[in-house]
Amino acid sequence: MVRTWSLPALAVLCAAAALLLGGSVVFLAALFLQSAPPNVLSQRYQAQLNGIVYPEFEQNWKLFAPNPLQQNISVDARVQTISDGGRVHTRDWVGLTAQDIAAIRHNPAPSHVDQNLLRRAWDFYDSTHPAQDGVAVGERGKSAEEYLKRIALQRFGRTAGGERILQIQFREGTATIAPPSWSQEKVPTGIGYRELAWWPVDEDDYRGLL
Amino acid sequence: MTEVHRAQDDETELRRTAGPRSGPPLLSGIPRQPGTPPAALPPGRFARAFELFTGRAVGPYQAAVVRIGFGLAWTGFLLREWPNRRVLYGDRSPWSDELAARLLAENHAFTVLSWHHGRLWFELVYHLAIVAAVLFTLGWRTRASGVLFLVTVLSLQNRNVFVGDGGDNVIHLMAVYLVFTRCAQVWSLDARRRGSGGGVWLWVLLGLALLTGPPGLLWVPWAVAALWWIVNRRYPNGEWRDVLDALANMLHNCAMLVIAGQVVLIYSTAGWYKVQGSRWQDGTAPHYPLHLDYFTPWPWLSGVLGASLPAVFLLSYGTVIVQVAFPFTLANRRVKNVLLALMMVEHAGIAVTLGLPFFSLTMIAADAVFLPTSALLWVGRAGRGLRRRWRRTALS
Repeated sequence: MVRTWSLPALAVLCAAAALLLGGSVVFLAALFLQSAPPNVLSQRYQAQLNGIVYPEFEQNWKLFAPNPLQQNISVDARVQTISDGGRVHTRDWVGLTAQDIAAIRHNPAPSHVDQNLLRRAWDFYDSTHPAQDGVAVGERGKSAEEYLKRIALQRFGRTAGGERILQIQFREGTATIAPPSWSQEKVPTGIGYRELAWWPVDEDDYRGLL
Repeated sequence: MTEVHRAQDDETELRRTAGPRSGPPLLSGIPRQPGTPPAALPPGRFARAFELFTGRAVGPYQAAVVRIGFGLAWTGFLLREWPNRRVLYGDRSPWSDELAARLLAENHAFTVLSWHHGRLWFELVYHLAIVAAVLFTLGWRTRASGVLFLVTVLSLQNRNVFVGDGGDNVIHLMAVYLVFTRCAQVWSLDARRRGSGGGVWLWVLLGLALLTGPPGLLWVPWAVAALWWIVNRRYPNGEWRDVLDALANMLHNCAMLVIAGQVVLIYSTAGWYKVQGSRWQDGTAPHYPLHLDYFTPWPWLSGVLGASLPAVFLLSYGTVIVQVAFPFTLANRRVKNVLLALMMVEHAGIAVTLGLPFFSLTMIAADAVFLPTSALLWVGRAGRGLRRRWRRTALS
């Protein structure tokens, strides 16, 4: 037993069916091409694909692939402060990542503030500064610097040791994860550091933070 | 209920998943408009497919469990992050309003948080997000709460895209897809109250809320709700009421196809890229995430797991095999169900060992779209039984 429709109704339904099915197939194909390695088809239709996928349907499913991250990246920061008498002090390094790790330990549901905020801000900084010489690529690079600076300043506050903060410096520590005990592989032990330049801090950087 | 267990083949599963239908029955007693000759399709495979596609919203239990799963995940996340909400998405965020505005101008992502600035508006949106998530989970006025769920998910996440992870990404996508489904046909407050209609006050309220923002696509679902209301009132038994119903079924069926396709894509991408990785090939890959400081809430547990050669090897090869194979097992119900169970167990493990409970919950909720109806019905019966027993003990 099949439902019978009037002709106009049938026309509407058939048109809608074609449109919806066609749309779904095109949409899924776009998602597939966006997830697949760059290929002849996705390069040819790059603009159209981006039009469908961005901004709301971004795909990023290379979870721990092709290889999982094999280094522990840590971000430290230190500040220079100025006393009322005009003397400048350089303070000790503070482990920002170490603070995150401490908050995650023995926590069954770590917060995004501890697990993602600084970690992803550093990824963002890294991806917008590919030359490793501190030169930002475009507007996004500048946004990444400001973001990173504000994350650190939120933790430092306005002063350190009772003195106003003048400048801030970051360093990245990279520690290669030791291979499993049964493995023959040799990897360098210890942490390698990379320091960024000093960045000036002014009142504007604190907007809304504290 | 017993024939449910006997049914094996795919066709019966499709028939069973049809479930209760909203609106009047389509197959009988509908007066045709006078003067229009009936256009009968030749009854064949095409006609039957067309009837299935337009006549029912397939997988009502699967749609409901996906709705409940994502609603719970987002509710739990919002409550967990409540103390940190202002730093993550609000006025205290290091990703300042200016930085967000710069990025939004570039990528045109949707967020109502850019409509107004200041703490009050943010607090309003965050708490509305919690309310919407709870109502959506319960299936209360799901057409409206689903749209609110979508709006609040997108608004918060797009305010700062740099604090999310894979779990947030899945919620973001599913919030969009679920709006197009009839996900409250079963296991919802709407399903209990079916037929009472109404909700005009909610519609007016949402219209007023929309007026405070710039014009946009949000007026579309609002207008569609009005269209339904008018047609329901004026032509409750007319053919166009059924046409609307059929359109909604088609939209639901396509959205379910997209949800299923999205889940398949997640697993196949994850699997296909892993195949190329040297660490997955040499069978040591899981050792490394288990030693990433950011993902070791229980170092002792991670140490034990990561130090065992057979465990690491099995996890490594097992994960790749399951993820690569999953899309192809959809052709075979039994194998598919075994893999589905394995993937859910693995995600439950990830929740604990890597400290990613909300990510894992979203992945399990996404997987649930492939759960067999018989299993879902069994869960539903068990839930009802528990409730009855609880009531009896509460009364006595």
